[in-house]
Amino acid sequence: MPNFEAQHDVTRVLQSQSPEGGVSEELLPLVYKELRVLAASRMAREMGGQTLQPTALVHEAWLRLQSNSAPVWHNRAHFFGAASEAMRRILIERARRKLRLKRGNRAEHVSIDNVDVAQTLPDDRILLIDEALTRLGAADPELAQIVTLKFFGGLTNVEVAEALGVTERTIYNKWTFAKAWLLKSINEEWNGEA
Amino acid sequence: MGRHNPDAFPVFPPASALLCEKLLSQPMSADTDKEQLLFAAALPITDPGEREAFLKRASAADPHVCSRVVEMLAHHDQSDRFFSECITNLAIDEVDVLEVAELVSAKSVVGEMAGIRIGRYRLLRQLGEGGCGVVYLAEQEVPVRRRVAFKLIKLGMDTQNVIARFDTERQALAMMDHPNIAKVLDGGATESGRPYFVLELVQGVKITTYCDEEDLTAPQRLELLIQVCQAIQHAHQKGVIHRDIKPSNILVTMLDGRPVPKVIDFGIAKAIEGRLMDNPDLTMAGQVVGTPAYMSPEQAELSSLDVDTRSDIYSLGVLLYELLTGRTPFDQKELVQSGLDEMRRTLRDKEPQRPSTMLTGLTITDLAATAKHRQMEPPKLIKSLKGDLDWIVMKALEKERQRRYETANALAMDVRRYLNNEPVVARPPSPFYRLQKSIQRNKVIYASGLAVALTLIVGLEVSTSFFFKERQARMESEQAHANEMLLQKMVKARETVTEAGVLLSHGASAEADALVKAIPVELLSPSRESSDVFRQLGMWNLLQRKWKQAANRYIVLLQVNQVDKNDRTDQATHDLLFAAPILIEAGDIADYERIRLAALARLNTTTSVGAAEQLIKTSLLLPADDAILKQLEPLEGVVKKALASRDPAVNDRSQLAAWRSFALSLLEYRRGDFNAAVTELGVCSSYPGQSPACVAGTHLLLSMALRQLGKAEQADEELAEGRAMVQNRFQEKLESGNDVTGRIEGWIVTPILLHEAESLANTSTWLRTGDTK
Repeated sequence: MPNFEAQHDVTRVLQSQSPEGGVSEELLPLVYKELRVLAASRMAREMGGQTLQPTALVHEAWLRLQSNSAPVWHNRAHFFGAASEAMRRILIERARRKLRLKRGNRAEHVSIDNVDVAQTLPDDRILLIDEALTRLGAADPELAQIVTLKFFGGLTNVEVAEALGVTERTIYNKWTFAKAWLLKSINEEWNGEA
Repeated sequence: MGRHNPDAFPVFPPASALLCEKLLSQPMSADTDKEQLLFAAALPITDPGEREAFLKRASAADPHVCSRVVEMLAHHDQSDRFFSECITNLAIDEVDVLEVAELVSAKSVVGEMAGIRIGRYRLLRQLGEGGCGVVYLAEQEVPVRRRVAFKLIKLGMDTQNVIARFDTERQALAMMDHPNIAKVLDGGATESGRPYFVLELVQGVKITTYCDEEDLTAPQRLELLIQVCQAIQHAHQKGVIHRDIKPSNILVTMLDGRPVPKVIDFGIAKAIEGRLMDNPDLTMAGQVVGTPAYMSPEQAELSSLDVDTRSDIYSLGVLLYELLTGRTPFDQKELVQSGLDEMRRTLRDKEPQRPSTMLTGLTITDLAATAKHRQMEPPKLIKSLKGDLDWIVMKALEKERQRRYETANALAMDVRRYLNNEPVVARPPSPFYRLQKSIQRNKVIYASGLAVALTLIVGLEVSTSFFFKERQARMESEQAHANEMLLQKMVKARETVTEAGVLLSHGASAEADALVKAIPVELLSPSRESSDVFRQLGMWNLLQRKWKQAANRYIVLLQVNQVDKNDRTDQATHDLLFAAPILIEAGDIADYERIRLAALARLNTTTSVGAAEQLIKTSLLLPADDAILKQLEPLEGVVKKALASRDPAVNDRSQLAAWRSFALSLLEYRRGDFNAAVTELGVCSSYPGQSPACVAGTHLLLSMALRQLGKAEQADEELAEGRAMVQNRFQEKLESGNDVTGRIEGWIVTPILLHEAESLANTSTWLRTGDTK
């Protein structure tokens, strides 16, 4: 098994977490590493050239970490939070890198002359969402967390609801609202800049 | 996919507008809470009029929040599509993982590749990390499912060249099949351009670690080494040089309870070599060449083109050294820290300590620990190394590869002889040799000059200029196949010579002679071992009066005894003492003319009196032109100076002095100064202890000189005496002879002189009788 040590580190860090705390800065890189390794191994098991959903990765990471140290994992929210945040970083880095390759160093500043947000490239779009999500985090951390879990972590409503200890309906409502909020925010930024 | 499907949720029941109004009027923690509530309430209202009316009422309670919710609702339809399109793109692929991984931690990326699939291989986990890359345990799925070792070379290597070099060796590597060799299964490059090699998986421990963990005794260690030698020998027979033999490339596994060493990484050093030239930075050199402590002097040279199987012999010597003493001849750390130039100098010039001496120099604790791992008392361990094992190690570690064991098998056989308590081939260097070495060490130019010369002689590598690397690379690949074949033949030739040497040591001269007969002379390069074999076989044929065969052996001898320029000149000229007369005796005048010119060109600067005398004699067995006579002048000076000396160590005033005087007489005669020749022959005869062969020679030469001076009667007398002596000697069985009976190398000159003296007599008689004057 790869990354045994990393797993122990995760366990240790998680044990030190208070149930109410947010995603620990310490925990993030560990889960992040775990996820990358997982992503790679998943990739290897499927046939070459296939793609993977983040959901699958996060779940596998969860199962692996859980089976290794069952008693510690009473707080799923922390793990999924960290995993989703890590996945967010992976995806953002990937998008930035792709755009850099495409455009040189101007990837951070999407140039959009008379282009609708809806016409943006997926990589640009992920970056826009990421930025808007940061703004949402400032306005409503809980909403931002749900978006991270759902969008980057790829969890279902049921899973997010379980993780956060709320009803499935609440998640549905909040997710729907958050999407609208984010797109509005993105549009505002977009038009402000353009 | 299909995770994000909001429509899958049951239809949201419309909230009561009144309830909403009520809620909005209450204080709430965040604006978004109110917004959410209003949003959630308004969203299910599908009729536009109804929704507008609802929002209007809500606006009365909080117009600010309401206006934003209106905007959000306007974005709602679009937002679903916006996000779901994005989500499709969130799927990641292998390239992403690699790219991301590289981006995040470029330095540790290689170490975190476990799990990835490359070509037909799936990396499972990291096994180890070396200078030039990381080794993974990997699984191959097609065509057979098996576990392999996957060696991923570090970023920054010149992939194309590495792959090209590997491809040139692929054929040879595929032919290797030996229980002590881990097969190289495959090689290629990852999509990101990193070269990789796939090797047979060997689950074992480093040979040195195994020996120490198991506390193997010296004989047990030697048994393992013999197996390693056999593996290397097999590879050499297939034309593959390892180039990076070191403990970490030799793993010991257990098979049926017996330890079996396996040599790994064949062909890889060759594929990734060349970095030393590209990057003179020492750390780079240390990484790629890997292990200066195991590197042969010729590998350390800048032009590492000129590397052959004997470089592996050197590395085996280092391995043997380490197995016996627990240390390498030169400390790896010190070598690397000393800098590249100093490292080369050390490897090229510095004599390593003998293994026993090395142990003697250790601290008591270190020595005790080393001895304990070999289950021996410290003094006993040192004593067991002294002598044979010291010499075996030192022979493998010779700076000049011509002096090393010819083949891995020869090294193995000598170790075997040691284990069997038989005499070993390796010998301590003579004091003369060591003196020469110390002179040589001061001639820095020498080594590289010799290397170039040998390159040309051996013809193994066609390219001599590494400045035109591209051209060289092309030529290398074109020549690769030809070289491989040539190399195989050369190895075979060396093996045959070694075999002949063993037969000779058992007295089976005829068998040995039959064995070497078929070896094409161009396949043999200068070496001590070959010299010994051909010298013995030349003599053997000579004593049986097989002149033609003897001549053939001596022709080979004169090629393979060119071990180096300065060293052992006396041996070289002594070989000429046999070769020259035998070539003439065999009727091979053209070869005689050739070798006398070559020998003069190579050796005429000698300051050794013995060599000078022998060169003069062998060069003048037949009449010589002015150019040759001119070249002999400095040698004449050397001989005259010695004869004038009163130092008994230089001038014995006896047998040797007589021969020297004879050489001077011959020189005067060939110059046409017959009076001087007669005078010098008088001096020659005056020395007590003159060898019978020399006496015979003196009679014959005197006869010739006298006849030239017109003194026919005296000449006839001398001729008769000389003839009688020569006939007597050659009627008997030939033997090597001694100071009293005369040595064979002295005697074999006399029939030639007799022949010349007789034809001169006949010509003179004819001239006298035919002359009407």
